[in-house]
Amino acid sequence: MSKPSDLIQGTLDLLILKTVALEPRHGWAIAKRIQQVSRDVLLITQGSLYPALHRLEQQGWIKAQAGTTDTGREAKFYALTAAGRKQLARELESWDRLSTAIGLVVREAE
Amino acid sequence: MPRTIDKLRLRLLSMFRPRQVEQSLKHELELHLREQIDENLAAGMAPDQARAAALRAFGSVSLIEEQCRDTRRVSFVEHLALDLRYTLRSLLHQPMLLAAAVMSIGLAIAANTTIFSLASQFLFATPSAYRADRLVHIRMGGGSHVSHRQWRALQESGALDGLTGFNIETSANWRGPDQTVNLITMAVAGNFFDVVGVPMTLGRGFTAQEAQAELDPPVVVISHRFWQQRLGGTPGVIGSTLIFNARPYTVTGVIADGARSIAGLGLSPEVYLPVGRTLMPDFNSTGPVATIQLVGRLRDDQTLAAGRAAMAAAGQAVATPGERRLGELWLFAPVGSTEQIGSLATVSAFFGVLLVAVGLILAIACANVAGLLLARATVRGREIAVRVALGASRWRLVQQLLVEGFWIACFGTITGLVLMNLVIGLLARVPLPLPLPLELHADLDRRVLVYSAVLTLVTTILCALVPALQVTRGSQLPALKNQDPLAVQRAGRWWSLRNLLVIGQVAVALVLLVTALLFVRNLARAGDLDPGFEVENLQVAQIGIVQGRFTPASGTALLEEAVQRLRGMPGVQGASYAFGAPLMLRSGMTTGARVVINGKAPGVDAIYQDSFVGPDYFTVMGIDVVKGREFRQEDRRGSPVVVAVNEEFVRRYLLGEEPIGARLRLPGPTDAGYLAEVVAVVRNGKYRSLGESQQAAVYEVFGQRVNQLRFAHVFVRSRPGAAPAPADIAGVLQDMDPSAAIDVQPMRTSLAFAFMPSRVGAGLLGALGALGLTLAMVGLFAIVAYSVSRRTAEIGIRVALGATRNAVVILVIRDALVIACLGSAIGVGTASLLTSPLSMFLVGGLRPTDPITFVGTTALMLGVSALAAWIPARRALRIDPVMALRAE
Repeated sequence: MSKPSDLIQGTLDLLILKTVALEPRHGWAIAKRIQQVSRDVLLITQGSLYPALHRLEQQGWIKAQAGTTDTGREAKFYALTAAGRKQLARELESWDRLSTAIGLVVREAE
Repeated sequence: MPRTIDKLRLRLLSMFRPRQVEQSLKHELELHLREQIDENLAAGMAPDQARAAALRAFGSVSLIEEQCRDTRRVSFVEHLALDLRYTLRSLLHQPMLLAAAVMSIGLAIAANTTIFSLASQFLFATPSAYRADRLVHIRMGGGSHVSHRQWRALQESGALDGLTGFNIETSANWRGPDQTVNLITMAVAGNFFDVVGVPMTLGRGFTAQEAQAELDPPVVVISHRFWQQRLGGTPGVIGSTLIFNARPYTVTGVIADGARSIAGLGLSPEVYLPVGRTLMPDFNSTGPVATIQLVGRLRDDQTLAAGRAAMAAAGQAVATPGERRLGELWLFAPVGSTEQIGSLATVSAFFGVLLVAVGLILAIACANVAGLLLARATVRGREIAVRVALGASRWRLVQQLLVEGFWIACFGTITGLVLMNLVIGLLARVPLPLPLPLELHADLDRRVLVYSAVLTLVTTILCALVPALQVTRGSQLPALKNQDPLAVQRAGRWWSLRNLLVIGQVAVALVLLVTALLFVRNLARAGDLDPGFEVENLQVAQIGIVQGRFTPASGTALLEEAVQRLRGMPGVQGASYAFGAPLMLRSGMTTGARVVINGKAPGVDAIYQDSFVGPDYFTVMGIDVVKGREFRQEDRRGSPVVVAVNEEFVRRYLLGEEPIGARLRLPGPTDAGYLAEVVAVVRNGKYRSLGESQQAAVYEVFGQRVNQLRFAHVFVRSRPGAAPAPADIAGVLQDMDPSAAIDVQPMRTSLAFAFMPSRVGAGLLGALGALGLTLAMVGLFAIVAYSVSRRTAEIGIRVALGATRNAVVILVIRDALVIACLGSAIGVGTASLLTSPLSMFLVGGLRPTDPITFVGTTALMLGVSALAAWIPARRALRIDPVMALRAE
């Protein structure tokens, strides 16, 4: 179980933005979803999640709204804003570039 | 755009509703926890295990909250708010410290803002006028005034939107309810109110049509103060009649209260009269009579340069052959600008000196407060050390200490502004013995407020920054162990910040004291100076005569008759008359001319004081006639022209010649001048001011030489103890000419005017010097007391080891005296540099580096320092060595 503190801060933003792109989710659900989709590789602790969520909210890329969870509790749901959508595209693009570059270097034929 | 709005909304929410935001975060985290617990339960854990596991995985809640708070990036504002509240509370817990600091700063800032406010009113104030920024002062033709004809021609040339002018050097006799008073009036051109647009509170100004000078229009505009104080503020003032120079004038308007006149310099004339024959009988004469000071209004689209060019061209165009220089402009500046200040060198220098002095006072006060804050911060060393250990950055701590300084500066400034208002209010109420109509306002205008804000900022930084940096520097370990790092007086430690501060304070206080003492000595000297005549038992009547009412001949006859009647009054030993009076406002004329002596061409270039006096003048004034005779009745118009000269004139110009009988060719109305015979040599005296170097003087006979009669002085010498009442003398004179303004004073009172600058200077600087000394001594006392309290253990050890009482006292006082000596040395050096430009204020014989002053001040400083150190030294004696050692 690799700790998400190994991840560069930027990729955590990317993961969160992508996760709420499809539908608004609350903090717990975001963490669970990332864990699910990454097949238990990426486990995000609350210590990284909530500061990141708040930072993204301050930047204006996600917006908080009230809602109820499946279990009937009141929670803060985060949704992607229009600016966030653009930011997501930008981050995806730079992630692609980065990962391709790293791939090229490590898979370089001896 | 929506993103920015959202961001802003969030920021504002975090700032103003922090509770709400915190609650929401807590709620969110709780929810997360519960979901985790549910998951654990679903995975089969027991309830308490589920909870424990969830909590463990959660991590530190407070850390998460803190991190979230950081992302909200309002920490700076939050911290500032916290600091403000906290420091205010902690300062209020030490009210003595706060009061001392606030009073120091308050007094210093009051002094600064008062002087600044007065200076800005005198030198910078913009007159109250319609769109004053379009008005300009104009000086052309090589003089400060132009003639009426020239003004009229220039106005008609249309170079500017409007051209008008005024003359502040006229006066008129107003028949008041009790007596006739001579007032300084503002003579204005006919279109003055049209062009300038002075704000009125009642009525209106006169128009160009009705106020044409040729008509000698009987209209007048009065100031608010005139209406309130002299007319009692009666409501029916518009249309009422006032008598000026024995002629009725109708009041058309009252100027608004507090309006600043276009003459500037705080002058506020009480009446505005149109130029005309009554006020200025020769305004329209064909010769080059300087009548009007020009003021122009630029057209809306005209720049300053364009206006200047247009005026120059107009001047060229309207100049007659004798007025070649009319096209030369030597001043074309917006009213209220600083260009006028060039001509006010003395006044500016005076204010400059004062500003520097109060600036120094502020520096001392800041040093005091800095010392206090430093001591306070050192005492809280442990608290600061703990905070550093907990992770506070240095900047955070410095910020808090700066905020402390800011509160003190803030309260101090408010106190200072309140004091300033009080002081200026007092000054405005106290009538200055000035013949000029000055008005002072306690304006809290923009400039003063900006200046005070800057002062507050500077004070804060000066007071708080250096101590703050000092205290948070270096290792905090000794503070944690409750040791005072400054307690041990190692050799290198001597130059600590506090010591340097006090040395600086002592130096500055010394500079102030030297200046003050210099001025006090100056005043004393001036008082001792012999004016050259007998001041006691002499009364002088100033007579203001309506222009044109008397010819020289009839005027002289009037004065002769007056003096005759006065001689008949009981107690009067003698009476005489003269044109000017020595050392008073109207003291005669300084003349520079080529004088031919006994026909020996080419003659000498002489500069002398010219006076016109009547018979028996020297006897009545008590001036010794060293050689020759008094002027007599027989010396009158038509008889041979005679003059008297003083000893200085003989010494300078009549080299070797026998003075009595010498024939002088003096300058006169024609180029040839006129011949006069010297019949007397009189003792030297003072003529224009007490501080002047010895002047040569020539006395001419009033009846023979005077050619216009606007004012005169009558002198009455009485037997000691038998002086007639001033009112009686005034009565006799008023009977002879009801339209004249009569003012009778004992000579000694009139001389007060001559003393005024020295008195004001000495008083002000004396006060400032005393203030500076007090502040510096408070600083010295504080530092010595503090040092004693910190060295309690050391002193205890010394006493235990056998030191005598004297040794302990000497130990304490020695340090204080070393500081005082160093400070005095620096102060003396600085003072000798700074006081040299002050020589213009000092009477002759007193050098700016007068040794008695310097030595006296240094002795005073050392003496007071020793006293300031004596009290803590005595307290040191009472230290019980056992208690001291235990307290460690």
